[in-house]
Amino acid sequence: MHVYVTNLAGTTISVVDVDTNKVVQQIKDIEVPESIQPSPDGSRLYITQGPENVLTVLDRKTQKVIKKVPISGHANDLAVTKDGKYALVCISETPGALDIIDTTTLERIKTIPTKNRLHDIVLTGDSRYAVADSPQGKFAIVFDLKTLEPAWQVDFDQEALVPAIENNPDGSGRRLYIQLSRLLGFAVVDFETHKEVARITFPNDEPKVPPSGTPSHGLGVSPDRKTLWAVSRIYDAVFVYSLPDLKFIGRVHLPQVTPPGQNPVGGSPNWITFTPDSKMAYIANGADRSVSAVDMTALKVVARIPMGEEPGRMSTLLLP
Amino acid sequence: MRARNLLLQIAPVFIVALTSFAAAQTASSAPTQSASAPAVSLDFDFFKTRIQPIFLKRRSPDHARCYACHASGTGPQYLVKLSPGSSSWNEEQSRTNFENVSNLVNPDDPMKSRILIHPLSPMAGGDTTVLHGGGRQFESKDDPDWKTIAEWVKGAKASSAAGR
Repeated sequence: MHVYVTNLAGTTISVVDVDTNKVVQQIKDIEVPESIQPSPDGSRLYITQGPENVLTVLDRKTQKVIKKVPISGHANDLAVTKDGKYALVCISETPGALDIIDTTTLERIKTIPTKNRLHDIVLTGDSRYAVADSPQGKFAIVFDLKTLEPAWQVDFDQEALVPAIENNPDGSGRRLYIQLSRLLGFAVVDFETHKEVARITFPNDEPKVPPSGTPSHGLGVSPDRKTLWAVSRIYDAVFVYSLPDLKFIGRVHLPQVTPPGQNPVGGSPNWITFTPDSKMAYIANGADRSVSAVDMTALKVVARIPMGEEPGRMSTLLLP
Repeated sequence: MRARNLLLQIAPVFIVALTSFAAAQTASSAPTQSASAPAVSLDFDFFKTRIQPIFLKRRSPDHARCYACHASGTGPQYLVKLSPGSSSWNEEQSRTNFENVSNLVNPDDPMKSRILIHPLSPMAGGDTTVLHGGGRQFESKDDPDWKTIAEWVKGAKASSAAGR
């Protein structure tokens, strides 16, 4: 099993072997890789990149570019549907859109305009819906992937950041969780009523550190649907909550950066991904240039894995 | 004739004003160091010939180019996007870049200019209040490119740098 890590201020993608927690491969010459997702069969890697308005499609084994698919603007996060049919790309350039790429023809088949720029995207377990956030627009928008049209939207009073979905056992969406720019915690949205039903705040019992960028960036529901993990830059930690009752279980501290003669600053944790067996979580620490491997049962960091410049988004691939 | 002469006299003023306006528009999302004119005189030719190439250079496999984020990516847009097929900026584009990047120079204390401190590693005296989203582009003040930028913010002229 491998974890793919984008070094978003660099030109490489680091590949971590979860058995050894070591980098076993570097994919090179991908300048400012924003996000990476494998195809469900593991044969391809889909990558969004900073300076180019393309979706780069790589053959995973040979690392050769299969195609650079032109997209409608500057891209940020992306997702791939469970059946592998579509790659969905958030367009973070004004006015904002969701680009839909047919992975068979490797052509953009649709651009769904949105009211503002899109940033991150997640899918329900059954890939029926996609949820994307717009920090500038202060909303999360839900797309129906059967009709390829917007389905509903929820508005917030502050910037909407990273979303995560808790699924029902059949893979349909149950609750949407989303980080907000001024909330040290996350908001909870009921997927059926489309309404925000709660805001959960982190325990405020430890000192804060100067965050780099937004105070929170990284949210995920474990594959076994038993826990929610929320990454906080301002506490330099990941907070863990039980599901479905949303009770605080504990936290895991992440590495800080201590400049000579100064107080520590946050390591800028950026993203979280899990192994499918819900045993390990991996958290990218941008400023610390590392990934923390966390034992999800013991809530303990078991390895600090050196990375390239500003590790960001990650995805896990169970090798075929 | 007199009206024409007057027009010729004021035309350059308009051109400068328009260039400044365009620069301000381009860098509208970019935080600025100072709105006032720098106390040191920043040399355009030095900027064009010595600084701009740094923005386009891939200095190591681990570092994206400044251009990759600051002309079209997620960073503040200080740099003009290159024209299709071009590998460098033309005179007008360079002027716009110069205006934008000059705003990152601290006129009162050039060595504390944002353009020097922000991309410098926090372990080497770089920014610790807001870390550079583009990582540690300069690991130390001994980096030759960092030194070149330092020369420029301190007022180095292209003529004095000739032959180096």
